Amino acid sequence: MPSWAPLSATELAERQRGLSEEQLQQRRIVNVNPETVTHVSATDIPGHWGPGQDDSWDIERFKQNLRFKFHQNKPYDSAFSLIGVDASIANAYRRILMSEIPTLAIEDVFIFDNTTIIQDEVLASRLGLIPLTGGQEALTWLRWYRKPPPKDDFASQATWPYDVDDNDADSATPNDHNTIVITLKVECRWATQAEDGRDGRRLAKEGETDPNERYVNSNIYAHQLVFEPQGDQAKHFSGENAIKPVNPDILIAKLRPGQRINLRCHCIKGIGMDHAKYSPVATASYRLLPDINITQPILGADAKKFQRCFPRGVIDLVKDGDSREEKAVVADPMKDTVSRECLRHDEFKDKVKLGRIRDHFIFSIESTGQFESDELFLDSVRLLRAKAERFNRHLTELEDGR
Amino acid sequence: MIIPIRCFSCGKVIADLYERYVELIGTPMDAEGNTMPDGDAMDELGLNRYCCRRMILTHVDLIEKLLRYNPAERDIIKVAQRG
Repeated sequence: MPSWAPLSATELAERQRGLSEEQLQQRRIVNVNPETVTHVSATDIPGHWGPGQDDSWDIERFKQNLRFKFHQNKPYDSAFSLIGVDASIANAYRRILMSEIPTLAIEDVFIFDNTTIIQDEVLASRLGLIPLTGGQEALTWLRWYRKPPPKDDFASQATWPYDVDDNDADSATPNDHNTIVITLKVECRWATQAEDGRDGRRLAKEGETDPNERYVNSNIYAHQLVFEPQGDQAKHFSGENAIKPVNPDILIAKLRPGQRINLRCHCIKGIGMDHAKYSPVATASYRLLPDINITQPILGADAKKFQRCFPRGVIDLVKDGDSREEKAVVADPMKDTVSRECLRHDEFKDKVKLGRIRDHFIFSIESTGQFESDELFLDSVRLLRAKAERFNRHLTELEDGR
Repeated sequence: MIIPIRCFSCGKVIADLYERYVELIGTPMDAEGNTMPDGDAMDELGLNRYCCRRMILTHVDLIEKLLRYNPAERDIIKVAQRG
């Protein structure tokens, strides 16, 4: 029967009495059936359950139901449960994490010399993808740089600058408040007795094949990038706070004797929406908590078979009180992958109901190393709040007719 | 050609892991000279997702072949010829 169908007198009376805990719990569950998924939408909308009761969103009830629990909190890899929010909110956090939290990355590369077999554009792309870190306060001190449109894009140039920030009029020119300079100047050569204590040419003659023995600077790593503080940056990015790559051993290029790289990079603050290199997370994802409801007891050999339908650790076998048979019980639904394997077997078809809990989000955030994962989530909450406030302000302005 | 800086799908930095991976699967672990299996090596490097695992597992380091053609350094050929 559709939710808007008229209620009979008994049904109306039942609804006005209020719902049992079990009925309320049932409403949180997305049913996962053998072929279909049902009850997907949230139900806290005014009038959803028809007349006689009001299940619309309520701040007090929201405060009561909201819960937060960490499962794992390593600095750059955290997993936690966020319980009691709507999917739209959880998804907003996930999307903000991936594409709207600013980080620092190399944006422009000026290549003075590159005689390696890595082409200029490939090299520039590789440099851009290196995650850079520095003092947290210093990074927030850094302002935005607004990149002018490309020289051959006349349409964009005609409208540039489309919205000038009055507080930061210099944002379109690189300066010490919005641009970090990093240089790389390396040349590969044969190892010599005088400088390196080994003669690369002689070693090669003797059959040495390891490039690290024969040559010097044959592999270029991210720690060879040199940060050059400009103007005011010297006092903000000194010592511990200096700009450096998160992973010092990133292989940038491979060289052979006589090949050179000489380049200068301009790093700016940007967001993942513009380019994935600015994204502070490797992955930010969530899944709903699986729910396994065993409606009739599953005993004996069936219980063993039932256990094997799930990943290890999801189902436990316990001794049943009277019959001394083994009985299947749910131990840890969080480990389940909701493969629906158990629904393929006829003996379990009517004994188990699978589902997911609609408002229980298991987040997993893996940071690329610029910021800590839990801090990133808090940043996403702050950003969503700021966006909501901005929207609200614009709406008020619209009402006032400004 | 050369190991990509990041995983194409998820964006995890992998360029610093490839050399360690080659080292792990190339060094004998026991007296019989058995080396570490690929899967165990990737587990040890913290590559959990299959997107990052395929980046390392299926990479062919072609740059090593191209580096042999170095116009700036004819010495390599000379050394080889003399040897």
